[in-house]
Amino acid sequence: MRLKNVVTLVALGILTIACESDDVKDFEPLVVGDYQSGILVSNEGPFSNGTGTVSFISDDFETVESAIYNQVNNEDLGNIVQSIGFTEDKAYVVANNSNTIAVVDRFTFEKEATITTGLINPRYFISVNGKGYVTNWGDTGDDTDDFIAIINLTTNTVEGTIPVDFGPEEIIANANTIYVAHQGAFGQNNTISVIDAALDQVATTITVGDVPKALQLDAANNLWVLSSGKPSFSGEETAGSLAKINTSTNAVASSLDFTTTEHPNHLGYDGTNLYYTLDGAVYSISTSATSLPMEKTFDGIAAYAMTVKDGKLYTTDAKDFASNGSLSIYDLNTKEELMTFELGIIPGGIYFN
Amino acid sequence: MVVNSIFGQGDTIIVLQEVVLSDSKLQNFAGGIKVRQLSDSVLQRNTGMLTDNLQYNTPIYFKQNGYGMVSSASFRGTSAQQTAVVWNGVNINSQLTGQTDFNTVMAQNLSEIAVRSGGGSTQYGTGAIGGSVHLNQDLSFDSPFQNTLGVGYGSFDTRSIGYTSEWGTKKTAYTIGVSHFSSTNDFKYLGTDRRNENGAFTNQNFDIAVGQLLSGSNLLKAYHNTFFGNRDFSASLTAPSDDNYRDLSTRSLLEWTNFKTNYIQRVKAAYLSERYRYYPNKERDDFSFGKSGSFLLNYDYLYRYNKWKLNAILEANTVNAEGSSIRKENRNRLAGILLISHKPSEKFGYGIDVRKDWVSDFESPFVFSVDLKYQPTESYALSLNASKNFRIPTFNDLYWEGAGAVGNLELLPETSLQAEIGQTLKTKNYSLSLNGFYIATNDLIQWRPDISGTWSPINVKAATQYGLELESEIRMKSGEHQWQWKNGYGYTKAIANESKNQLVYVPLHRFTSNLVYTYKRWGSFMQGLHNGEVFTTTDNNQDLDNYLVLNAGLNYSFPKKIGIETEVQVVLNNLLNENYQNVAFRPMPNRNIHLNLNFKF
Repeated sequence: MRLKNVVTLVALGILTIACESDDVKDFEPLVVGDYQSGILVSNEGPFSNGTGTVSFISDDFETVESAIYNQVNNEDLGNIVQSIGFTEDKAYVVANNSNTIAVVDRFTFEKEATITTGLINPRYFISVNGKGYVTNWGDTGDDTDDFIAIINLTTNTVEGTIPVDFGPEEIIANANTIYVAHQGAFGQNNTISVIDAALDQVATTITVGDVPKALQLDAANNLWVLSSGKPSFSGEETAGSLAKINTSTNAVASSLDFTTTEHPNHLGYDGTNLYYTLDGAVYSISTSATSLPMEKTFDGIAAYAMTVKDGKLYTTDAKDFASNGSLSIYDLNTKEELMTFELGIIPGGIYFN
Repeated sequence: MVVNSIFGQGDTIIVLQEVVLSDSKLQNFAGGIKVRQLSDSVLQRNTGMLTDNLQYNTPIYFKQNGYGMVSSASFRGTSAQQTAVVWNGVNINSQLTGQTDFNTVMAQNLSEIAVRSGGGSTQYGTGAIGGSVHLNQDLSFDSPFQNTLGVGYGSFDTRSIGYTSEWGTKKTAYTIGVSHFSSTNDFKYLGTDRRNENGAFTNQNFDIAVGQLLSGSNLLKAYHNTFFGNRDFSASLTAPSDDNYRDLSTRSLLEWTNFKTNYIQRVKAAYLSERYRYYPNKERDDFSFGKSGSFLLNYDYLYRYNKWKLNAILEANTVNAEGSSIRKENRNRLAGILLISHKPSEKFGYGIDVRKDWVSDFESPFVFSVDLKYQPTESYALSLNASKNFRIPTFNDLYWEGAGAVGNLELLPETSLQAEIGQTLKTKNYSLSLNGFYIATNDLIQWRPDISGTWSPINVKAATQYGLELESEIRMKSGEHQWQWKNGYGYTKAIANESKNQLVYVPLHRFTSNLVYTYKRWGSFMQGLHNGEVFTTTDNNQDLDNYLVLNAGLNYSFPKKIGIETEVQVVLNNLLNENYQNVAFRPMPNRNIHLNLNFKF
């Protein structure tokens, strides 16, 4: 979501936040510092004044722990924890509004470093070829200063930048090729940047539907791009779309369009099907489908974040954005809700250890 | 106020006192309502903005987004938009946000600030739910030419300069005031090696009031106030900031009064304007803006008959607003008000008010108020009141059209029903008051994200506030020694009906204390604010600790020399160096000192 706008609203005293009650099971906390196998969820934290957190849920669903970074390291992550990126043994927690990345051991969450310089509105991290790549909006008032920060993973410093098109958001890699979705920061954009990680240069750009929000690579190495379309408040509403990009030619192979008022979000992939959310429902579509599905796979689901893994659907509910959100887990076959966990404020990213 | 003897005795004086004051309802139609005045000397203790003046002396809780930044009031646990600010009888809450930022009001040039607790929508319109704060400018006819120049300097490069002048002949009176207040506001965050960054601000304020008696029964008055604020919005513990915010507001009022002993009729015309520019990065030229202009015409007829007072008011108002994220819109409003006050005996009086607004865009509710005061002995009084009040949606609520958020044209006004009971015990040397209140609000307007993540205001569940206010005052005098000790305690339950949780940023307990001691030309004070724990999330999972802030001051008045009376004041704020946050992750100033010099001539 366009958080800074909301931050602005809050700063100007325009927004007041409502509240909502919820019922969730209480869990015993586990031993601090053991996050070997389980689910990590990044929580953005309150809009203007506060810190984001990371929650952990063990694989057996028996234990849940909130604010693990704070518990282990006794300090705050920063304002608006946007996402977490990983290497084999480390996690990179991106704090958007604080312009920092906390580098931690991904299994103990012990802090190894904090990257505090060279980032301006950092969004997402990925590691390729022994280097880290972070999408940065730059100054939100300037559409021409957006960049990818290149992180030296040994020194944990920004060692270079790649200037890119406006509003880089999600980032994914296919071997040595990096794909960046230009959602468009506070505005809207419609491109994918293709970066050659050997040269650290933009090789080409691909035009897709407006507001590309989510990326997935399928088993056949196709890149799938889910675009939300321009929202109605932009004044020129456009339809969302699901595009398939051939990664050997870097051209759009096919694209399925939604109707103008439909703005899908999130993209999950379970090895066979893609999953996306639309108007409170989750839909699934085969990678070989030639039209969009009519039938909802799940209905009545609040999905601030959504992903699928190993036969399960994971969704988060940010509630009123001013209280603890939750993570719900569903069985993709039986459609049964398996579990709901209370998380931190505005849970926005779901990851697996 | 000084009233000249040429106006005769008895009733005429009372009438003149009344007509000179633009907000005379505070006296005429608030028998069973708790109204507290803040005197000059009280205002002098805290030289900054109105937030500073009010938070140590009233039960109102203030939430400041960092010191000097946006400050919103929560009166009896209600929201920022549910406190009305009334300038010389005119409601001046922002048309855009529905609230007044109490760090954009400077009280130095005002002659009186009154705090009226509880619902007052019948008299003051939208937003008077928790209570109202009244900023009044007085005029003194037949009074000497008097000037005051004040300069101050203190910690964090805080500078203040103010000049006021007043003069009154038998026919003409004026008062004028200019003030400037600025600070780099870069105090140390206690317990860290960091400072408050990007928190500098500069405020300028200008006030003028002129009165001209056209005849023995006609008075013409004009008032004006301009405020200009330029603030960097400060960083917090977790987020840097390079934001800047500039706002300019003007208020002008022209009032013609025609009066006799048994009636007063007034015609008022007022124009209020507000504009702001918000720079997300102050190094760049890009900004977003909002502005509004409001023109108001009011006819007010007060008739006195035996022990009855009847007041009929007709008010027309047209407002224009536009901004980067609000489409240009106009709103028209017409209001009819009838106020009745009856005092059958010296011991007993009551009032009944009714009001109806007709607003373009939506239906505004019919509201009423009843109040009663029973004073069986000179020292004891019992008061009761009950009222229905409202808050209409703001221009932002209705017409916002920005990235990620849209207004909602289907909104209904917030409405509240409330009741209050109060008791006061008062003698020459002490007073004690206890008020209990209950407020039930429906259709609260709150911004929520919809299913696609777009924020929009909707009428949500109700909230209930109830609580107690206990106040005491003791005065003592022994020879040249004088003491005054005022205490206030507030207990406020503010419950979201559905979740049963306490509303965020409403302290359950709040305590203020002011001890003043004077001896000959010396004066000193000690003031304290204990703010109880507040919740910062709606599920009450996160909170901010309670805190205690103590301030102390010492002043000395030099004997008059060459017609100039000089007063020196030293104020030490946050004496205990308390490390506290009023809003989460925004530490407040550490111990700081200010020196003020006042010259009267």
